[in-house]
Amino acid sequence: MKNILLIAVDEWRYWLRSHVALSAMFIFFSLILITSILTTFRMDAENHLRTQQQDEAEEAFLAQPDRHPHRMVHYGHYLFRAPTPLAAFDPGLDPVTGQSIFLEGHRQNTVMFAESAASAEMGGLSWLNPAMVYQLFAPIVIILLGHGSIAREREAALIVPLLAMGISGRTLVAGKFLALLSFTLCLLIPLIGSCAVALSTGATTPAILSLAGVYGTYLTIWALLTLLASTLIKKRSNVLATMTAFWLGCSLVLPSAAVNIATDVKPIASKIESDMILHADLRKLGDGHNANDEAFKQLKSDLLKKYNVTRVEDLPVNFRGVVALESEQKLTTVLNRYAASRILAEAQQEDTIRGYGWLTPTLAITFASRSIAGTDLAHYHRFQAEAETIRFAFVQKLNRAHAAKLSYEDDISRNKNEASSRRARVDASNWQVLDEFQFQTADLSARLANAFSSIASLLAWLILSLAALFWRAARIKP
Amino acid sequence: MVGYQLHSGFNTMQLQAQSLCVARSGKDVLSGVSFSVNAGEVYALLGGNGAGKSTTLLSVLGFLPIASGRIRISNKEVSCDIAAARQAISYLPESASLYEHLNANENLDYFLQLAGNATCQQAMSAALDQVSLAPEVRLKKLRTYSKGMRQKVAIALAILRDTDILLLDEPTSGLDPSAIDEFHHTVRELANKGKAILMVTHDVYGACQVADKIGLLHGGTLVGEFSATDNERINTETVHRAFSATAHTSKTTLATQGP
Repeated sequence: MKNILLIAVDEWRYWLRSHVALSAMFIFFSLILITSILTTFRMDAENHLRTQQQDEAEEAFLAQPDRHPHRMVHYGHYLFRAPTPLAAFDPGLDPVTGQSIFLEGHRQNTVMFAESAASAEMGGLSWLNPAMVYQLFAPIVIILLGHGSIAREREAALIVPLLAMGISGRTLVAGKFLALLSFTLCLLIPLIGSCAVALSTGATTPAILSLAGVYGTYLTIWALLTLLASTLIKKRSNVLATMTAFWLGCSLVLPSAAVNIATDVKPIASKIESDMILHADLRKLGDGHNANDEAFKQLKSDLLKKYNVTRVEDLPVNFRGVVALESEQKLTTVLNRYAASRILAEAQQEDTIRGYGWLTPTLAITFASRSIAGTDLAHYHRFQAEAETIRFAFVQKLNRAHAAKLSYEDDISRNKNEASSRRARVDASNWQVLDEFQFQTADLSARLANAFSSIASLLAWLILSLAALFWRAARIKP
Repeated sequence: MVGYQLHSGFNTMQLQAQSLCVARSGKDVLSGVSFSVNAGEVYALLGGNGAGKSTTLLSVLGFLPIASGRIRISNKEVSCDIAAARQAISYLPESASLYEHLNANENLDYFLQLAGNATCQQAMSAALDQVSLAPEVRLKKLRTYSKGMRQKVAIALAILRDTDILLLDEPTSGLDPSAIDEFHHTVRELANKGKAILMVTHDVYGACQVADKIGLLHGGTLVGEFSATDNERINTETVHRAFSATAHTSKTTLATQGP
């Protein structure tokens, strides 16, 4: 153990005396510092903005005067998704999935994007974030530092004297690995610092430690692979070239290929295509605005029978309101079926891409990181599901007010004159139908469950690379 | 082959190779090589490129599997306890391999700690004095050193490790004449202190100057052995003739000769 420590300390001494190593570290830490500050500020601003917009949307809805209840159904309501606390580290899918949704009767709107605060953002100039720096650039720093670990000793003909001195190959590699591992842990300091800032916005220590854990595993994999290459390949320049090619494959080529393959294997219908099919199905349900539509004939007959009357005017409830309730129920069932189908297709496509994490640790860490940060597809789908629950609840509450608090006669004669129009309004107190909404990150256990397969891929990479290095270290020969 | 009286005062056999046969990549590299190095003796294994000199050293260090024959260090089989054998040996590679980012003192300190021979600064300074490394360069990084200066640091390391056996791989290759003289002087001093020194070289003159015994290796076979006496060193002319003859024959039987 003493010799392992000695070798590790000497490796650090070499790095500290080497300008290349220091430069690489300086560039990485600068990059992580800048992206952390910028992303934290951006997410903080977004958080305040979206929370403020949510409050304003609720106030605006509740401040509406007496109206016809169906006007309020179409007046609609906005829901905003505030960034999760750890989005300051890994915004994940947030920048491409939108943050707000307009809720209204008879339709499920798609999630919208906020307007760009700066034209530069539209060109994607703000894409770099701390998670991406860790996923893409930290491996390069590790490769730069570690590629010469063993190859340098071999080039300087130091392997024979060391082995002749009784230092085993495993001791030598263990010392180099300890140095690289300790450097990897140093790389995690900015991550923990960046995430610690998120403690004030609701991030939890276990979540931060989980994030640090998966990134620690990811970077350790790169350290092991770099060392393995350094033991297998004799020349430093060849180790560097090989690892750079491997990094390109893992970080750029394979993820792009995975997305293309997943799109081909699990295609998702375009919005226009699926909307056309959806609307054809919806038309079969009848027009909820027209109580005399043939689609509601059975409902009318059932109601008349139930209340033992012969005319809708004699019903104790507003038939138009009941039609709106019934129509919204049926329509929502169809909409939900399509939404579930789309969500399933998206999840399957994502699973296909995620499967490539077994081939590249970069994909595995990307998915694991997003899941733990709460910025993955599952969170986006949950936002859509929660938004739909709220939409359906408030629309039906308004429809119930329509059915119960507005008479059928007043309703059908609402357009005759000003007085009839006033009679066709219900009291503004009926607008107290909104459930307070604040999008919450899932529990850490749920997030870890989402990240399970990606974490399993990372662990498989870790174990395999460790085993390969252990095997190779014993075979280091002059 | 005729044995000659050793001129040093030690007679304990430290290193012995008996009928050593080694194959590398399916090809015989050493065939029946036998020699012994006693305490206080410098044995030079002389040979051209591909003669099997470095293979012999690697075999002694236990890095190559021995097809047949045996190597004994202090009467113990190397193959039985390679770790113990390596503890008894200081190995100086041809390139005087040391860490370029460290200075002389740091190199000594680092290697000695790795070898479990941690020592004090005074001892290191004394060893560097002994090999005549100028004090003003000792704190400079090795990357600024000439080959001769590196060789001195490597020898200082061997002195500090204080092992019974020294293996020197082409130690004078690339050194200027004065550095070679200094090096030979240091090697003789170490031998006089009882160290058994096996050096492989293709430098006939250097070998004759410093060695008590010279083994002529050709095509993996020891084709001749020459020994110095108490009074006279090995005759350079004789060895040179024998060495040249091996270049023209695949296997030369040479009568061992005195000075």
